[in-house]
Order: sequence, then C-alpha cells, then structure tokens
Amino acid sequence: MGRRVVNVAIASVGGQGGLTLSRVLAVAAVYDGFSVRTGETLGMAQRFGSVVSYVRFGDSVLSPTFSEGEADYLIGLELVEALRALRLLKPGGLALVASVVKPPLSASLRREELPAEALLEEISRYARTVRVPAVELALRVGNPRAVNMVMLGVFAATSGTPSDSSIRRAIAEVVPARWVESSVRAYELGRSFVLSGS
Amino acid sequence: MALMGNEAIARGFVEAGVSVVSGYPGTPSSEVIVTLHEFGAGSEIYVEWAVNERVAFEIAYGAAISGARAAVTMKAPGASVALDPLISSAYGGVEGGLVVLVADDPGPHTTQTEQDNRWLGPLAKLPVLSPSSPQEAKDLAVAAFDLSEELKLPVILRTTTRVNHAVGDVVLGPVRPPQRFREFRKDIPRFVRAGMLFNLERHRWLSSRLELTEGVLTKLYPGANRVEGSGELCVVTEGAAYNYVREVLEDLGVGASVVKLSLLYPPPTEFLEDALRGCREVLVVEELDPYLETVVKRVLYELGARAPVYGKESGHLPREGELSRRLVAEALVSVGWVPKTAVSPPAGTYPSPPPRPPPMCPGCPHRNTYLALLLAIARAGYRRDEVPIFGDIGCYALSFQPPFEAIWTEHSMGASISMAMGLKVAGYGGPVVATIGDSTLFHAGLQPLLEAVHKRVDVLVVVLDNSVVAMTGHQSTPAWGTTESGRRAKPISIEEVVRALGADRVYVVDPYDLDLTVEVLTRALREPGVRVVVARHPCALMEVRARGVTRRYRVVEDRCTGCLACVRTTGCPALYYSNGRVRVSEGDCVGCGLCARFCPYKAFEVVEVG
Ligand code: SF4
Ligand code: SF4
Repeated sequence: MGRRVVNVAIASVGGQGGLTLSRVLAVAAVYDGFSVRTGETLGMAQRFGSVVSYVRFGDSVLSPTFSEGEADYLIGLELVEALRALRLLKPGGLALVASVVKPPLSASLRREELPAEALLEEISRYARTVRVPAVELALRVGNPRAVNMVMLGVFAATSGTPSDSSIRRAIAEVVPARWVESSVRAYELGRSFVLSGS
Repeated sequence: MALMGNEAIARGFVEAGVSVVSGYPGTPSSEVIVTLHEFGAGSEIYVEWAVNERVAFEIAYGAAISGARAAVTMKAPGASVALDPLISSAYGGVEGGLVVLVADDPGPHTTQTEQDNRWLGPLAKLPVLSPSSPQEAKDLAVAAFDLSEELKLPVILRTTTRVNHAVGDVVLGPVRPPQRFREFRKDIPRFVRAGMLFNLERHRWLSSRLELTEGVLTKLYPGANRVEGSGELCVVTEGAAYNYVREVLEDLGVGASVVKLSLLYPPPTEFLEDALRGCREVLVVEELDPYLETVVKRVLYELGARAPVYGKESGHLPREGELSRRLVAEALVSVGWVPKTAVSPPAGTYPSPPPRPPPMCPGCPHRNTYLALLLAIARAGYRRDEVPIFGDIGCYALSFQPPFEAIWTEHSMGASISMAMGLKVAGYGGPVVATIGDSTLFHAGLQPLLEAVHKRVDVLVVVLDNSVVAMTGHQSTPAWGTTESGRRAKPISIEEVVRALGADRVYVVDPYDLDLTVEVLTRALREPGVRVVVARHPCALMEVRARGVTRRYRVVEDRCTGCLACVRTTGCPALYYSNGRVRVSEGDCVGCGLCARFCPYKAFEVVEVG
C-alpha cells in the first residue's frame, strides 16, 4: 500500500462539462508533477446520458479507472448522477455535490418526483457530503454552464490539490478562450465557498 | 504533457513522418484524425475521412506501396469492413510504413459487439502491436512505422477504449518530415493477385517476413516485451489489463513476475520461452477472448513445462466485458495467490436511481422524422406492429428507447435496407421501412439500395439526413463542400445519387415541417417500388453551434395539467416532470417547438432570446 494515489469520480449528465472538469484536473496535476490517468468514454451518444469520469493522480498511476469502493472523492455535477455513482466512493470518502437536479426522462415518464432535498438527504446517508449551491455561484459570474468550474474550486480547496497556480494554467489551456475568464471566476467562487463558507 | 491516448497516437504518427492518413469515424478511434485536423492545418499531410473503412484502407495502402508513410484508423467493426483489402495487402506488402489503427471496445461502451481484433494477426498474417498507456501508444505508433517499413508489411496497432480515451502524461519525441511518394515500380507478381502461382509464392514470402518480426521489433523498441518483478508466480498480460495487474499486485503485496507483451502477433516466442521457463503457475490477464492464453499454453507445451495456466478458459476471469482492478484482485484470490481477506467484498447495497440512457438531443431532427413515420403508419391505415422499421447505425438508433420504441433492428452499417429486402423476399406481405442516416447511406447503404432497385423489391427507405457524422462527434460527409482540413471537395447530392441508382420515387422533406413529412411518408407507405424519402435538417447540435438559440419554450404553470402528452410524444430531454407539472430546462431547450404542438392545453409559450 506504499503508493499514494488520489481517486476522483466525476458524475454528471452528458453536456454538463464533466469531461472538461476531468481534463482540467489532469492537466493541472501534470503541472504539479504528479503521475496522472483519467478514464472516460467519449462520443456524442453520451449527451444527456449518465457520464462517469475517473481521475487519478499521485506517485505512480497506471490504471485509467478504479473500481467500486475506491474513490476518495466523488464530484457530482447533478444529484441523480451523484446518487448513482455513490458506489464508487470508498468508506469514509467525501461526496462534493452540486445542488442541481436534472430529472431523467425515465422518471418523468413515470411521474416520479425527484426533489433536491430528498436526493441530498439520501446521498448524505451513505457518505459525508458537501452540498454546493453551484448554480447560484455560476450565475454570479454570468455563466450558468460553469457549474463544473465551481465544483473544481470546491474540490481543490477541500483536497488541497492540485495547486492553485497549476489549476489556473490548466483552465487557460483546456477551456475555449472566450470562457476562460468566467471559468476562472467560477473556480474562485467554488474555492472561497469552501474556504470562507460562503 | 497531458495527452489522451488518441492524441498521443496522432502525435506518434506525426513524429514518424506520416504523409497520408485516412479513416472512418468510430468511437473510440475518432480523435486520432480529429487531432491531426487540429494541428495539421497547412501541413503537407493528407488527413481526410473516407467514405468507409475499406476505402480508407485502400487509400492508405495505395500510398504505402509508393514509399509514402500512411495510416488508417477505424473502430472494431470497421476492421471487418476493411478485411478484404487488409488480407490481400499482406501478400503485396508495402514500401512505406503502413499502420492500421483498430480500436476495440471491451465493455462494450459504444460498440455493437465485443469483437476481439487481436485475431486479425493470425487471420491476416500481419504483426499486431498493443499499447497499455498513452505514452506507449505514442511510442509504439512510431515503432510500428519503422517495423512496417523493415518488414515491408502493414502493421496493426490494436488499442482498446481504456487506452484510446485515457489521459496520461506523455513525453514527446522529435518530428520527422512527412515521408511522401518515392516511386511506384510495376511488379506484377507482387501486386497482381490474379496469378495463383504468384499468390503461393507471395504467401511464402509473407511467412518469411513474419518470422523476422520479434527480432526487428526488439531492436527498434527494446521494452516492447518485458518482464517486471520476479518470482515463480507469473502473470502474462497486455494492453489496458497490464495497468490493473501492476497496480493490484503492488497494492496487495504479491511478489510475481509480470510478463508484459506489446507484440501480440506473431507471438514473441523466444522472449516468452525465456520469461515462462521458471514459472510455477501462470495467470493470463487479458481483455475479451483468451487469445494470449492459447499462446501461453503453446509456449509451455513446447517447453515441456507443466505449470498450470489460469485465465478465461479456467474460469478465473470473465470472457465478456472489460476488466477492472477489482476483477484482477478477485482473480488473484481465486487462484489462491492472496488470501480472501485481502480483497474487500463489493460495496453493499446502494440506491439505484432512475436510469438515464443517452436520448436524442433536444431539437434533434431525427425525433421529428420518427414521430412523422409513426404518425404516417397510423394514417396509412396500419397498426404499428404491421410495419417493421429497420434501423441503422447512428444517433437515430436511439429511437429504440421509450417513448418511441421505433426501430426493430440495428445491426451493422447499411444493413437496414438489405435486411428489409430480406424480409420482403422471404414473403412478408406488409410494408417494410428502412431508416438510415446520410453518412451510413454513403458508407454502406448505396449497394443495398441498388440491390433492392434491381430486384424490384417494395421497400420504403427513409434517409435521416442531418448532413454530418453526428454520433462520433460531427465529422464531415461526402455532402460537404469543404473538409475539416480545408480541402475543397465536390459535394455529393443524396437525391441525385439515389435517382441515378434507379429509385422509383424520391422525395425530399424537412422534418421540421412535420405535417408535410407525415403527408409524404403516408403517401410513400402506400406506393409500390423502392421509395426514398430524404428527411433533411441539420443536426440540432450543429445548428445551435452555428447559429445560436433564438427562441425557447416555457410552460405556463397554471395551464399545464401534468398530462405528459408532450413528454410521451417527443421524449425530449429538455422536458421534465416536477411538482405535478411539466417544465422546460431552460439551458437545454433549443426552441424546435415540437412539444408545444402536442400540448392539448396550449400550455407552452415562446420566449424570444438573444
Ligand atoms: S448529435 Fe445531432 S443528430 Fe445526434 S442526437 Fe443530437 S441533434 Fe440529433
Ligand atoms: S421546444 Fe420542446 S421539444 Fe423542442 S427542444 Fe425545447 S423542450 Fe424540447
């Protein structure tokens, strides 16, 4: 058990920017000198479907994915998907979840209600949970699509890695130019949500 | 720098001096050419999508016999499409390096079968290399070109999703200038497969070249096959599985020697004999078929060794699905190399929230086309179960899901038309419909159409024309006037082609005009002969990207009764049910207006935006 590796699962609905988030984390971790792997499944077929991305960084990482019960962190960009991915968390792992619900079609067709409060409660029954008003924070920077960058800030402030400077470089490298500024601000808001509790 | 496996392969191609790259989009292989398009603009490299994999392969082969370095990319089933020329190419061989990237998909995540293309090695008699990481993918891509050129044989670079789509740190190497046409010497025995005596002779030549593979590769890339660790317990592995093996052995503190192969065909026998000689027990960890397992057993037999071999044939690992750290750990338990207590049991019970399979996007024109087709079937006086709808490969296959449940089959590229024809000639009396996308029609649908026309079989062919290869991330089709690389191209008109093929009737409609589409489809359903209805409207995602969203829809709360008519009719993922009413997810709606049409209570209103 000598190797130190941080395992992060990112659960999202296709199109929410889970892939961008995992890429930013990977690039930042490489800047920090970590060995890095991410595992994704790509393709348009993933849009509006369940998506899980795996990010791993540490001393020496080879596998792009990990198994159930191995994630140190679960970042949920959406609550139904966070709930679905809970099984990836290890005992004692931390769930960082955006208070966002996108009810799947299968639920709507059955008139199934999925209130955020109930989902959050269910998630916190299984794991220590940090709930983040990510949409409000993203709207504060005028970019409702920046929920992923808010959660990036939440993750970085909570885990202490990757470093702030590497993440800023990584955002500039990965995110399309016209979104960089609002992404950085969303990231900062996510950070300060954890650090100053607002 | 951090690169995805496919980006690393693209980089490897460039470092090796490739000058011609062709392929057909297919997950998980597409990003290789997409990446080359991104950093290849203005370069001397020809990088274009071809109409299908066999054409792509033949383009690359034609280049490579003239001394150019060429590559071709495809997903697993694409290798079957390219199989005929691939097998013949082993007899002619190449002058410039030719690398064939075939991306398999254990899981499967995005592929119709778990086809294991490592068997292409023994089938086509071509060397097969398999990387485990983005770095190795790049390095092997470069080595594959040199190997190909030394052996004068095409080389297959076989990857899997967890290599193609894994991001990892990659150290780059120097870039060689593109190696273009040198000369093409007329050599009839070599390149004309019509002479049977030549073919026998070339087969002998091929066998003699293959024998050199292990030696040449070991010189070019000494770490290709290697033993890591030591001990009498041996694990033989390759590809993505190698990563799980290394990590799990380390995590569980098992001392074993890991025999890692990058050359899968011809098997590196000399290396394996050395590596396996001292083994007391052997565990083979590989994805999909027990391919290496048969190799290992043969090598041990030759050595006269009695070591037991564990793997898929012994039932210690599954033949289906992808491997994982957990499956490898459990295999180590089941062969008795680690105590049961070392591996924690799988997590307990967790809630299973409602499933979210990928749907068609909001505003997707295919939604309208299938809806129109279902309405037309009713209007033409048929029950839904009287009119089989054959599907094909592309986003529109998602119409199998509720609420549409439209297509009855999705089989292989182009099969909708020929399978519909098969049903008719077998004696089915009712109308049959084949639904096929524009790029799938170009790929493999034109010959089936010709067949149906020629044999005078009654079939309604609906071409779902969104003017792009959407499913794999929006690649160009033959209808484009300019390709991704900026090359000016001659746009091919689907209606002109199908008319020229002799279709009895050809209609073109815009599925956003739902009434007209229903009307045309109703008429076409009742007509005899081969009828082609081209339902043309750009992919909604592309349209939004190009023009933005100008209007959205909203539900006026007190008018909505929660009857779900809109959700049940459209299945649009921008609609959802909450607090007894339907709502529109503002950021997802693209304003197509389909839902509003089907609301009996006129509860939708338009919001102009922008
Ligand atoms: S990507 Fe385009 S064609 Fe595919 S489902 Fe979405 S809108 Fe339809
Ligand atoms: S108008 Fe209705 S059907 Fe069209 S995208 Fe918006 S919610 Fe979906």
